[in-house]
Amino acid sequence: MTILAVETSCDDTCAAVIDTNGWIRSNVVSSQEVHERFGGVVPEIASRHHLELVNVIVEEALRRASATLADVELVAATQGPGLVGALLVGLSTAKALAAARELPFAAVDHLQGHVAANFLSHAGSAGDADPTEGVEGEPGPGAGAFEPPFLCLLASGGHTLLAHVTEHDGFEVLGRTLDDAAGEAFDKGARMLGLGYPGGAALERLAREGDPEAFSFPGSAGERSRGGLGARRKAFAESLDFSFAGVKTALLYALRDLSEPDRKARAADLAASYQAAIVDSLVLRTERALQRTGIRRLAVGGGVAANGELRRRLKDLDATLHIPAPPLCTDNAAMIASAARFGRRLPYPDYLALDAYATGERPR
Amino acid sequence: MIVLGFDTATAATAVALRLDEETTTEARDDPGPGEHPGHATRLLAMTRELLDEAGVRWSDLDRIAVGVGPGTFTGLRVGIATARGLAQSLSAELVGVSSLAALAEAAFAAMADDPRVDGVLAVIDARRGEAFAAAYERGAGSPVELTTPLALAPEDLGSVIVRAAGASGGRLRRWLAVGDGATRFRGQLEATGAHVLSDRSPLQTVSAAAICELGSRAEPGGGYEAIVPDYRRRPDAEIAFTGGGGRSES
Ligand SMILES: [Zn+2]
Repeated sequence: MTILAVETSCDDTCAAVIDTNGWIRSNVVSSQEVHERFGGVVPEIASRHHLELVNVIVEEALRRASATLADVELVAATQGPGLVGALLVGLSTAKALAAARELPFAAVDHLQGHVAANFLSHAGSAGDADPTEGVEGEPGPGAGAFEPPFLCLLASGGHTLLAHVTEHDGFEVLGRTLDDAAGEAFDKGARMLGLGYPGGAALERLAREGDPEAFSFPGSAGERSRGGLGARRKAFAESLDFSFAGVKTALLYALRDLSEPDRKARAADLAASYQAAIVDSLVLRTERALQRTGIRRLAVGGGVAANGELRRRLKDLDATLHIPAPPLCTDNAAMIASAARFGRRLPYPDYLALDAYATGERPR
Repeated sequence: MIVLGFDTATAATAVALRLDEETTTEARDDPGPGEHPGHATRLLAMTRELLDEAGVRWSDLDRIAVGVGPGTFTGLRVGIATARGLAQSLSAELVGVSSLAALAEAAFAAMADDPRVDGVLAVIDARRGEAFAAAYERGAGSPVELTTPLALAPEDLGSVIVRAAGASGGRLRRWLAVGDGATRFRGQLEATGAHVLSDRSPLQTVSAAAICELGSRAEPGGGYEAIVPDYRRRPDAEIAFTGGGGRSES
């Protein structure tokens, strides 16, 4: 079986073709760089670009898979959560592609998609970056797939959560961010440090030159050991939920208290300490979740999975670690196809009335 | 040639199936006050019902005609994404039709012998107290656009008529204004001497049959990229960033 999937929940226009055994045949992502000058994703601009690109991206995904629509047996699209206007472009396109051929359709939850990225055989063509990283065993259909049960840390610009995955369809949320997402915190910190947008990667580069213990930001191990705010708010400190608003404010105050030349001189220390606080907070709760569930298998998804410091720290945990190739960690359609492979599929015409749902909305 | 046409430029979802010159069937969904538009949920479902009733298969469709606005951004994107997806899946022809021209087409067809109508001002409610409008006169086939569609303040609607009438050398004197913008800004339009029909007249809504009609006469061409919403407004963030007005220049 061949599955075609479309994903347009934020600012990447994505389409992918996978086989029924989870083998990726194509995974095309067109990132919209137009948002950089606005310092964040502008929903209206994202929606306009999705519409301009979506059919061409679908065509490209089919071409790279050496497939035509006649080969497609299941169409899938992200239904939510995300920017509704953006989602509607991909969802409307995918529903129409499927309806015209009376094909079955799978409406996929974006977060389930990130979890399902782990079920892919990603020795296939996963995009530009090295697709073999994280593959266990010989490349081939089924190779590289990480099977439940496992814990999944999802951290991106849009979401931060710990999922308990015991089956291929569905997961239990053990903890989630109470305010900003981890990737959002990275980007906002980078902006405060004058590193542009999106600046997560630039912040990581700068952090390599700095001392992660120079500043004691909320969430960091150093701050907790000194009985800081994070440790004092006991209920939160012991939960599996995340919070990144405090570290963001702390960076703002630290910058405010420094003179202009000091701000420059200590930028690397600030970046290193800021990154350490975010990574510490992610790793601490992940470790706690492993202990509480007794599970010794850990998967990671979302753009923050590209952070070298996070990867290094997670490798030190007492668990088998699986990190999909970078193009499968950031938003992509192969993960949506993977979720569709295991999720509920609706026969024609039962899906024609499906609507998108926004972040924070419950699926209808 | 079997043509499927639809329009989602306003809160309504309108679908029509044109089997031949004499036979066009239609379905529409007009949300009540306070109700959300049903573009995403109703468009394909209503299309399927029309096809089933006519005994037409998806693969029988030769051409998809879609209203490209101007109108509500999200609505237009749902309609155009759906049209493009169908055309891509079926390898059918795809044409974009101005939703304002569709309003004029239906009005001229219905008022063919009406002496009250020389020209038609098609007006779509653009929200935020503005209107999208363009002036048309009768043509040999489709209505002839006399003024470029614009986003403008209601008090400027009269100037569009003055300009269009002037360009005609005074030939077009009696104007009918149609569309949800015409009923919304009835006062301003009637003050200019334009005639506005009752709020309940079917000519106030974009007709998918008119989209089919204009679409069947159009020349398909270009890729999917050529069929895009006629936004007439830049995104707010871009306006705030670069300054300048939100209205289009031309
Ligand atoms: Zn995501």
